[in-house]
Amino acid sequence: MSGGDACGSQHCITCGDDGVPMTVLRVDEARELALCAADDGRHQTVEVALVAPVRPAERLLVHAGTAIAHEGGAR
Amino acid sequence: MKFVDEFRDAELGRAVAGRILSLVEPGRHYKLMEVCGGHTHSIYKYGIDDLLPANVELVHGPGCPVCVIPMGRVDDGIAIAHRDGVIFTCFGDMMRVPGSDGSLLDAKAAGADIRMVYSPLDALRIAKQNPDREVVFFAIGFETTAPSTALTLKRARAEGLRNFSVMCSHVTIVPPLRALLESPDLRLDGFIGPGHVSTVVGAQPFEFIPADYGKPIAIAGFEPLDILQAVEMILRQIAEGRCEVENQYKRVVPYEGNLRALEVMAEVFELRPHFEWRGLGFISHSGLKLSAAYAELDAEVRFSIPGVRVADPKACQCGEVLKGVIKPWECKVFGTACTPERPIGTCMVSSEGACAAYYNYGRFAREREVV
Repeated sequence: MSGGDACGSQHCITCGDDGVPMTVLRVDEARELALCAADDGRHQTVEVALVAPVRPAERLLVHAGTAIAHEGGAR
Repeated sequence: MKFVDEFRDAELGRAVAGRILSLVEPGRHYKLMEVCGGHTHSIYKYGIDDLLPANVELVHGPGCPVCVIPMGRVDDGIAIAHRDGVIFTCFGDMMRVPGSDGSLLDAKAAGADIRMVYSPLDALRIAKQNPDREVVFFAIGFETTAPSTALTLKRARAEGLRNFSVMCSHVTIVPPLRALLESPDLRLDGFIGPGHVSTVVGAQPFEFIPADYGKPIAIAGFEPLDILQAVEMILRQIAEGRCEVENQYKRVVPYEGNLRALEVMAEVFELRPHFEWRGLGFISHSGLKLSAAYAELDAEVRFSIPGVRVADPKACQCGEVLKGVIKPWECKVFGTACTPERPIGTCMVSSEGACAAYYNYGRFAREREVV
């Protein structure tokens, strides 16, 4: 996800304390990173150390490039 | 879309609004504070206040992370950004926050290498791509964002990255709430608790609000029905004589928070003795700095900064807005000298700022008519 889309002059989702729902596509367990897709199709590499382990197709709540929760409740 | 569509259902919204109406006593005024800037944004984006009875007033709290950064802190960031060889990185809205002599965006226009990033990891990536440059990340935000900075610092240290550092301006949510509750000029009946901060810290840290101050609080999500339901929960507590922490946002917020996030924050950060909040002054133990173990990655240790306290412009009333004492449109410069394009105060910068939310969603014209 580019900064320009997410952090533009109209709405900065990081400053706004937003959580972006994303779907896990691929997981790099060793580096605790995952490639995730937002609902609008944009892809982003996400830090998943705080919610590991994660699996493809799981839904995460992402803030500032870091997954902070599993959507639908903690497991 | 799951977790979105069902929380924007107009019919359900009207039903909740009806229940809210049945809970309020005629002749009594209810003043509820939404702590989080994200809630402020949603309230005005979706017109939620229009669904509430006239005697239920929503006031805006200090939960916009951009709005609470004092001018002196912006000046400190600009001073680092002007150093030779420095690439200064920060989130988007932070670029436009005014310092005493312009914003980071102005400094960028004047030649400083300042880059907008979406995450601390982006800043780390820039550091790896520019090994001959010093890359500084201006870290702001509440407990929602602090874990992301902490993980990035752990990663930087593990990878032995020596050209990366963080100017830490993270803040914590509980001390300003306590300060507001101690404030003699503000009478509140309850709180809509912050949703995503609570994802990290949990519901437990807010227990002091009912226990020490006798006020109800409902932690809420950010969709229209989330906020309406939280208002209903608070009013129901008042009507039934209860006073407790309720969690409307259970689909994301566990009572104990995210323990891994709290652990990594405890390792990387420590509390400052005091930290200045725009409009609120110095609040004890409300800001985070890097712990001694991470001091080599602390930009404030690596670079000398002015560290000068700068008073807010006299015309700006962000302090009163952040404390919920006045509405944005009651500020003397709202919508005239201070607009989202040319903000004087921080509350007009971020769309989560109360002033920008009012301005962007047409409240300016309507409220002026009322005046």
